[in-house]
Amino acid sequence: MLLPRFDFHEPATLAEACEMMAHYGAKAKVIAGGTDLMVNMKKKLLSPERLVSIARIPELKKLDSSPGMLKLGPCFTIANIAASEEIGKTWGAICAGARSLGSPLVRSRATVGGNLGTARPAGDMPPSLMAYGARVVLTKKSGQRVVSLDNFFRGPGLTEIAADEVLSEILVDAPPPYSGCSYMNISLRSACDCNIVNVASFVTLEGPGGPIKTARIVLGCVGPTHRRAVTAEKTLIGQKPSAALFDTAAGAIAACVPGAETADCIPIDDFRGSADYKMEMAKLLIRRTLGAACSEAMKQ
Amino acid sequence: MAKLIHLTINDKEYDVAVAPNETLVDMLRYRLGLTGTKKGCGLGDCGSCTVIMDGSAVNSCLVLAVQADGSQITTVEGLETDEGLHPVQRAFIEHGAIQCGFCSSGMIVSAKNLLDKNPHPTEADVRTALSGNLCRCTGYQKIVDAVLSVGK
Repeated sequence: MLLPRFDFHEPATLAEACEMMAHYGAKAKVIAGGTDLMVNMKKKLLSPERLVSIARIPELKKLDSSPGMLKLGPCFTIANIAASEEIGKTWGAICAGARSLGSPLVRSRATVGGNLGTARPAGDMPPSLMAYGARVVLTKKSGQRVVSLDNFFRGPGLTEIAADEVLSEILVDAPPPYSGCSYMNISLRSACDCNIVNVASFVTLEGPGGPIKTARIVLGCVGPTHRRAVTAEKTLIGQKPSAALFDTAAGAIAACVPGAETADCIPIDDFRGSADYKMEMAKLLIRRTLGAACSEAMKQ
Repeated sequence: MAKLIHLTINDKEYDVAVAPNETLVDMLRYRLGLTGTKKGCGLGDCGSCTVIMDGSAVNSCLVLAVQADGSQITTVEGLETDEGLHPVQRAFIEHGAIQCGFCSSGMIVSAKNLLDKNPHPTEADVRTALSGNLCRCTGYQKIVDAVLSVGK
């Protein structure tokens, strides 16, 4: 399969990369690992005139986990995230997401910034990052802005990133005490397969046995983007964790409550599964991830 | 416009002029005649194009040759030494892990990379490490047995 022709640029710094994106705008695409971009280019779905590679910019590959916050460079590879004890100690669900992505061969090249930038509804990195409340820094020649991941995805393949911006950092706060987070996915094969459903749940308890004070549930593959199951989340607040409670939360995703534009979970029938099946699997994963997250929270 | 890249392949240094849209697998096979690395799907699913790049096994069909500038690459051709076949290659033969042979280069390179990092893997470790390499013929069992035998 042949790639279309393009010019290849390799800026040495973030500033240079932003300069190039300001100049070339929509005629250029940023490339890091290329494990998604190259596939789309080979299939002739994308044919940018220019590729701007940010893969060799040192500041974009760093990992900084000073107490209180994780700062991840967008070019940090999925393989390195999966193997990172530093990330796993405090943000274990992010490592779980990384372990599920692609195959070991893909993970060596794929990057976390890339998985966010490609905005696939079935992506493995968004659920845990959103559940931990992550934010991304979008940098351009004239400055930068910080966007919550909750507001970052606009549709399949579409994000907040403007044509002259580069996703330059991912920020994740350390969870408060008595917090837990879990990511789970269902797919046919263990590698190189799009997820049928994926879910991440994050909870913070008032105390070791105590009621839930914060909950974030993120659903993937059941809408045009990863989405917060806000109706389900509301059922958890102020309640003590229990299997019955998780059942209630899971059940809440199907209904469209007054005031909401849609239900939490809006799957479609496709070759991966029927909408009914995906709905049931989303409920299953909500129950399981809530259980795992609460167990983690109670152990602290 | 062609770019001149410099890289080390199987401990030998190369200077190669490549087009920006040339993949690493095409450079290895067509420019350098290293046809041990195969092209299957071209999309990073089958793993027949597996090479080791800077210590990690990767799909060379998804790496642009220009991105490999300055890299250390190991292909299947680099496994055999003057002393003979690499232990993984010998194990594949002894265990009947090769039928049509098309996946074998990728499987062997992935397995070598695993054993370099984890000399005594469990069966689960082996299956995970090879999960990016597809085989249509063998059903994987003998491949897994071969890799485990090297790791004993």
